[in-house]
Amino acid sequence: MFEIDFNDSGNVAVSGRLDAAQAQTAQEFLDRVPGDCVVDMTGLEYISSAGLGVLLKTHKRLMATSGGLKLVNVNTHINDIFRYSGFDKLFDIETASS
Amino acid sequence: MRKEYKRSFDEIQNIVADTERFFEEENIDNSLRLKVDLSIEELFVNMVTYDTETNRDILVEMTPIENGIEVSLTDFGVEPFDPTQPRDVDIDASLNDRSAGGLGLYLVLKMADSITYHYQDRTSTITFRNCVEGNS
Repeated sequence: MFEIDFNDSGNVAVSGRLDAAQAQTAQEFLDRVPGDCVVDMTGLEYISSAGLGVLLKTHKRLMATSGGLKLVNVNTHINDIFRYSGFDKLFDIETASS
Repeated sequence: MRKEYKRSFDEIQNIVADTERFFEEENIDNSLRLKVDLSIEELFVNMVTYDTETNRDILVEMTPIENGIEVSLTDFGVEPFDPTQPRDVDIDASLNDRSAGGLGLYLVLKMADSITYHYQDRTSTITFRNCVEGNS
């Protein structure tokens, strides 16, 4: 189960499992987001390389127009994946405990 | 557990459900779940995406071992491709130079405590282990 939508704060909220089967859904949503974008990952339980690819592609597109993705409320497991992937050097990331 | 899955990303949710059930039935430490899920998905997706010369189902086998789990994925009727070889992924590259290509197998090598590859009679089998505290 994966869900992506805007929350009450106007941020993008993702929840569930962002795997290869859900990557297209996430990409189609994020392709419509302009400028700076905060992605609230409070409910995100799992991400694979397909999901990382979605974040990377979107971040590149937004950075080209001086925007970008900020990833907030990232849990420990997903933060480990970001660190292993070097995404901690590319994205502004706030962990759930920070 | 021994089960075959269609060559479709839609099968990922079924593999996840079967893995969850196997962990419960065999009392495998749940702290290993996300690592195991990730490695299975990345290896399965790699087979579906790149082993296009076959339409055979992919066999997934799970076995409880001391302090953990051993998982094998077998693909039939394919050319050899050894995913255990180190991936050429530059995680320090700048944003413009980064791509997601190769990241999946790179993560598998990071996540698995051990991983082996066997190829015989046009059949590829990848086996990995995950144990609590890295005891393989």
